[in-house]
Amino acid sequence: MNPFTYKRATDEADAVREVANGKNAKFLGGGTNLVDLMKMGVETPDELVDINRLALKRIEQTPQGLRIGALASNSEVANHRLVREQFPVLSEAILAGASPQLRNMATVGGNLLQRTRCYYFMDTSFPCNKRVPGSGCSAIPGFNRIHAILGASDKCIAVHPSDMCVALAALDAIVRVAGPAGARQIPLVDFHRLPGDTPQIETNLRPDELIVAVDLPNSPFARRSRYLKIRDRAQYAFALVSVAAALDVQQGRINAARLALGGVAHKPWRALDAEKVLTGARADAQTFRAAAEAALKGAQPQQHNAFKVELARRAIVRLLTEVAHETKGGAA
Amino acid sequence: MSNQTDTQTKIVGKPVPRKEGRAKVTGAARYIDDLRMDGMLYGATVRSAVPRGRIREIKFGAGLPWDEFVVVTAADIPGENCVALILLDQPYLVAKFINHAEEPILLLAHADKHLLEKARRAVTFDVEPLSPIFTLEESLAKKEIIWGEDNIFKSYQVNKGNVDEVWAQADFIIEGEYRTGAQEQLYIEPNGVIAVANADAGVTVWGSMQCPYYVHKALLKLFALPEEKIRVIQTETGGGFGGKEEYPSMIAGHAALLSWKAGGRPVKIIYDRAEDMVATTKRHPSRTRHRTAVNKDGKLLGMEIEFVIDGGAYATLSSVVLSRGTIHAAGPYNCPNVRINAHAVATNVPPHGAFRGFGAPQSIFALERHLDKVAQVVGLSPAEFRRRNFIHEGETTATGQVIREPVDMEGLLARAFELTDYQAKRERFARANEGRSLKRGIGFASFMHGAGFTGSGEVYLQSIVGAEAGADGRVRLLAASTEIGQGTNTIFAQIAADALQIDFDLIEVAQPDTSNVPNSGPTVASRTTMIVGKLVESAALGLKQTLQNSGLLKANYTTDDWRAACRRHVEQFGLLKSFSQYKPPPGINWDEGKYQGDAYGAYAWAVYVAEVTVDMLTYEARVEDFVALQEVGKVVHPVLAAGQIEGGVAQAIGFTLYENVVWSEGRMLNNQMTNYIIPTSADIPPIRVYFEEQPYAYGPAGAKGIGELPMDGGAPAILNAIEHATGVAFNHVPLLPEALMQALNQTA
Repeated sequence: MNPFTYKRATDEADAVREVANGKNAKFLGGGTNLVDLMKMGVETPDELVDINRLALKRIEQTPQGLRIGALASNSEVANHRLVREQFPVLSEAILAGASPQLRNMATVGGNLLQRTRCYYFMDTSFPCNKRVPGSGCSAIPGFNRIHAILGASDKCIAVHPSDMCVALAALDAIVRVAGPAGARQIPLVDFHRLPGDTPQIETNLRPDELIVAVDLPNSPFARRSRYLKIRDRAQYAFALVSVAAALDVQQGRINAARLALGGVAHKPWRALDAEKVLTGARADAQTFRAAAEAALKGAQPQQHNAFKVELARRAIVRLLTEVAHETKGGAA
Repeated sequence: MSNQTDTQTKIVGKPVPRKEGRAKVTGAARYIDDLRMDGMLYGATVRSAVPRGRIREIKFGAGLPWDEFVVVTAADIPGENCVALILLDQPYLVAKFINHAEEPILLLAHADKHLLEKARRAVTFDVEPLSPIFTLEESLAKKEIIWGEDNIFKSYQVNKGNVDEVWAQADFIIEGEYRTGAQEQLYIEPNGVIAVANADAGVTVWGSMQCPYYVHKALLKLFALPEEKIRVIQTETGGGFGGKEEYPSMIAGHAALLSWKAGGRPVKIIYDRAEDMVATTKRHPSRTRHRTAVNKDGKLLGMEIEFVIDGGAYATLSSVVLSRGTIHAAGPYNCPNVRINAHAVATNVPPHGAFRGFGAPQSIFALERHLDKVAQVVGLSPAEFRRRNFIHEGETTATGQVIREPVDMEGLLARAFELTDYQAKRERFARANEGRSLKRGIGFASFMHGAGFTGSGEVYLQSIVGAEAGADGRVRLLAASTEIGQGTNTIFAQIAADALQIDFDLIEVAQPDTSNVPNSGPTVASRTTMIVGKLVESAALGLKQTLQNSGLLKANYTTDDWRAACRRHVEQFGLLKSFSQYKPPPGINWDEGKYQGDAYGAYAWAVYVAEVTVDMLTYEARVEDFVALQEVGKVVHPVLAAGQIEGGVAQAIGFTLYENVVWSEGRMLNNQMTNYIIPTSADIPPIRVYFEEQPYAYGPAGAKGIGELPMDGGAPAILNAIEHATGVAFNHVPLLPEALMQALNQTA
């Protein structure tokens, strides 16, 4: 691990100031991703600004929905009564990831900023455009079973590893940030970026901006929402493909739908084309298959991951079927 | 408190507390990375990035204080630059020719770990590349000759009867090809050692290992020192599974070479998980081809088997892994004509090595998959076909070994089926699966596993165990057999306590230290309980006999009498000691040249049944239930024995459905625990373990070895169940969802 200096921030302004003025400084939350990457030499910050004492842990009901503090632990969010009742997909998604020990430490803000688990990014002996811009992508000619099938570029085919963010994408979540220039809000779907020519820039958060909260707006579909994760083993594995789905179904017809995919792209992938197919259509197998086709229409698999295209279609159909059945039962 | 009754209480067979359990659960146990010495340096290994080539130049990058580092290359080796094991082909450090990726070329030591890591990355090699080969096909085809004259480390041919004559008489001839992949041992504690070495004091190594005397032998040659100048001490060891059989000789040599160059300052080398996974040994990948002749009554007439394993770049243990795989290739069946051709071949990947089962899981996987196919062709159920061919007392194995003990494979099969409701489920699942997306299946494998070294191996080892008793009556057992989490110390103490009829707490087991314990052989090959345990028993009995011969101990005695006798003996004659050396059981004969005869003193026999579900939508296969039934002679410790079986089955489930070593240019690509997928407890079904006991005359209290057995049956039982569920035959492991998808889509 690289030597670094450590500072504990006293409040939000102090934290932001410290990182803005510091040389190659990073915020330290739960440390479940950053510290691992530092040990592996992938991340080499010169300064860590510990934000764990900031008052950003609250989960509270607002008139518009639910506000989750950036330092709330993944466990606290997943097990929170209001989250489970109003946004079940978020609880399911978080519980589908990592282990209880990690979820107890990991924060919401940190989860948004998780870095990819691409083998080549994680191993400093390989070239990687994300780690060393311009050095080349080792995954494209390498083993790319876990890599992107949507939205990749010729510079990077890594996928975003978060489960939580897939659920947030389906829930129209909004990320609230603080920075030297003041506060702003970034819709979750615009928070993460596709790799393009600059895979090293993963989010639209500026380096000196601090995530302070995530807002979940009330919606007619959030309560009927589920998460399905397909992975290499039952626990403690990243998604090969995951799906977050939320439906508002009335008399067998879909009034509103949200569909997002994980494990398939450089960002949590909101399937807008599929949502168009679903909205206004009958909640039946034919519709769900059409939605799955639409969601994967632009898919471009790599050498070793063609199976993920079909796997994603099947996962979508299965989850939509389950959510629709629940909705019928629940609405009766 | 002692009284007459405790001399009658048997401890063998009881779940007594583990000898080292308290130290482990309280954190008092010291593993190698817990140890620090004054003036200690940290060592690192600089490895090859390419699979094959010739080193032109070693370059040290700018900006590092190179004069502060201890630097060792092949030129610094005081003795011979080879890891002495079976052959002497593997260097400690590459002098010129690189034969696999991650091969050690240069060693560095420094007091600052972080600077050391920077330095490791700053050393580069200018290499003239040579063409590598990566698969056993390329090796067999001699695409390049990379080892010896023909890339072949070892070949065996086993002949029984005359297989050439059976094809004409056969009603059915069934062929098949079966493959298994590499598998990482993934012991809990990675490899690590500390060494102190200089010309005056000699070489002392502490470390995590299975076989202190293997390390001792290797260091003798590396330093060209006399035996008494080399000392190897095993520290508390967090698992091995075979992975710490041969590799500790390498890392111990490296640390000792650095210490030697540093004038005797202690040097610690601990691999992190990524280095341990990428650079050290794995299970040998294999390819097995079967050609089987059967008559219309479903009797085996002949079996021709070709068994090939990929040994990697150096010979290491491949010849003996091949041997065990070969001998187990024809299974517990009575077949009059058998020919097995077996080869271990070289490729430019890091050497494959010992891993629980040692070749047998590979060849048993092939056989037990193949016999389901044979049964289908003949028109019998898998169970009925096997029933017609099981071996019995008085019949012979493939090597012509006459089975001299009662064997009841039919009985095991019947009991395993009863425990799993196999017959009913076999029919019910087949009916219910129609049109369902979640398909269920049930399958089994029947097999045997020989305990101890193969053939004349035990005679060659001449293992010795010592026992000594002090004035307080405490007995110390002296053996090089290591406690690596499997329970050696507890089991030895149980056996000795029963032999001496004294309290279990009076027995202790000495730390394996080559300056203090005799060579009881390596801790491998399911031999520790059966072979070394028997020596523990006779060494302990030697103590008793001495006391009784000298009249200090009556025929019937209590623990208090024992203490008193020991005290008097020590007062009169000094410390009481007894040694016992291995002698083969009578009537054991092995012909190494013809590969004929009694391959093992005893076999454990088993039937394993797996129940699976296959999700036809997502192609996830899951083991839902697992019954492991085995005849093991005598269960010495029920909790430890069941633990061995459960752990082995879990490893076998990993081998079958999860663990996929991904290779690129001869290097493991997924050398991280996030991308090398092993099953977690959430993926493992309840493993229901049952034992039967048919005491073995030459095992302690009748016990036979079981350490490797549970690795053998899982893969074929699970794939047999998947075939039952899906109707599709899969003949390779690991079987990942994408392979299921591809095959099932084609048949759909």
